[in-house]
Amino acid sequence: MNIIVSAKDLTKKFGSLTAVDGISFEIQEGECFGFLGPNGAGKTSTIKMIHCVSPVTSGTLIVNGMPAHIGNRALKMMAGVIPQEIALDPDLTVHENLIIFAKFFDIPKREAKKRIAELLEFIELEQKRNSKIDSLSTGMKRRLLIARALLNHPKLIVADEPTTGLDPQARHLIWQRLRQLKSQGVTLILTTQYMEEAQQLCDRIVIMHKAKILKEGVPSKLVEEEIGREVVEIRIPKEEDDKVIGQLSSFSCGHERVGDTLYFYCQDEQHLMRKLIELNLHNYLTRPATLEDVFLKLTGRSLIE
Amino acid sequence: MNLSYRIYYVFLRNLVSYKRFVIPTFLVSLIEPLFYLITFGIGMGAYIGYFGGKPYLYFLVPGVLVSSVMLSSTFECLYGTFVKIVHEKLYDSLIATPISAEDAVAGDIAWGTFRGMVSGILMMTVAIIMGVIPGSILSVLLLILLMVFIGILFASLAMIVTSFSPNFDFFNYYTELVIMPMLFFSGVFFPLDRFPAWMKTLSIFMPLTHAVNISRAIFSGEYKPGLILNFSVIFVLEAVAFYIGIKSMKKRLIK
Repeated sequence: MNIIVSAKDLTKKFGSLTAVDGISFEIQEGECFGFLGPNGAGKTSTIKMIHCVSPVTSGTLIVNGMPAHIGNRALKMMAGVIPQEIALDPDLTVHENLIIFAKFFDIPKREAKKRIAELLEFIELEQKRNSKIDSLSTGMKRRLLIARALLNHPKLIVADEPTTGLDPQARHLIWQRLRQLKSQGVTLILTTQYMEEAQQLCDRIVIMHKAKILKEGVPSKLVEEEIGREVVEIRIPKEEDDKVIGQLSSFSCGHERVGDTLYFYCQDEQHLMRKLIELNLHNYLTRPATLEDVFLKLTGRSLIE
Repeated sequence: MNLSYRIYYVFLRNLVSYKRFVIPTFLVSLIEPLFYLITFGIGMGAYIGYFGGKPYLYFLVPGVLVSSVMLSSTFECLYGTFVKIVHEKLYDSLIATPISAEDAVAGDIAWGTFRGMVSGILMMTVAIIMGVIPGSILSVLLLILLMVFIGILFASLAMIVTSFSPNFDFFNYYTELVIMPMLFFSGVFFPLDRFPAWMKTLSIFMPLTHAVNISRAIFSGEYKPGLILNFSVIFVLEAVAFYIGIKSMKKRLIK
């Protein structure tokens, strides 16, 4: 496997604020690599440096064998960017949006028209070819952003929270399309706050918090290593914690109190469940551990503002 | 300065989007200077009568031509550009493609210049219909070149203001405190000869004064050596404004 993105001690500062603090990572060609993190963790700042719209403050960042910097048109030529904000051209129709964008990549008109027809089919938007952007739903706009990012047959796609604000149907359609692209050999770099999205799409993820990378790994393995297989949530008053923890800790591999809930993490919930029934506790819930548990454990369950 | 032929693509994008606004913007570009021609030209002209051997309108039209270029280019690169940066996030999309921030800004300056030129040409057409005709065909062509020349200046100056403007309201400072005084103190409506000395001095520092002088000379076909100075002042100012406009906008766009 070739390395397509390689960052070493990558740092981004905005004045006195450090948005990205000396992170290092490598992304392989053909994989889907996810940046997870709460708002302000430095995900967007990182990917903006990768697709050459934000200068690197210090450290090295090599993309496709070239140093990434804002003047690197060759890198911009081979990358497709799906922005977080719906930055479509509202003065133009769906088709005009794509035609103009194809021009920006020096794609000849005939080829552009053919490509646009394919892409409109790919994102299921042929019917809206001549519609104005205002008349599209949010899901359609997001799909159009994907089509726009694909005009230049990118080798690398950078998607910044591509499903924010979408209903489940629209989100699943976008996930399918992104997986389809991956199966064609495109490298995908994704930022997201949705754990399910990361689990659905990413081969590897890093969890970012306060400008640093906290953990790196394969999503399912991270869950197992950090949390275990199962989570038991018990809603009991805080005063009873010591008693319950004393009774249950030998069956679990960790516990945590957040707000009104006591969390137990375990590899095998059977013994724990049996004990719970024995103790005759009522307010509990058992479920498989998810990436969200890892995320919350690492970044803290309290609000991040 | 990372400029390339892609400036043209940015211009093209504006042209494609413009076709929806052609009629309203044509009307707006026409109405304001038309008011000046009618009120000052015909209304006041009736009292003033002849001016250096020609009807007052011949004095007024060349000045109004360049003023309309100034106003159109300025407004396009203030409001038009601001909407594209802040409201439509268009610039963010542009600079994620092989278009550089410099290309994007220069493309918008080119667009503002074009809008200025269109206003100027419309104005000239109205003037010709009203019977105020430039000295020769060459004058007409040179006037169009002049419109482009000063369009770049005012588009670039506006770009500098847009680069640090937090909101729309901020533009009022520039339009009311710089552009409007320029319109009235640059000898568009009456000669500067009888102004007090301080006002004459002030007018030398206004680029529109120089543009009006050139326009009047081209319109009548009577060229004087002083024009070289007028031309040089605009040229230098324009080169500086273009450079600063692009640099300061790049600072706003790339963080």
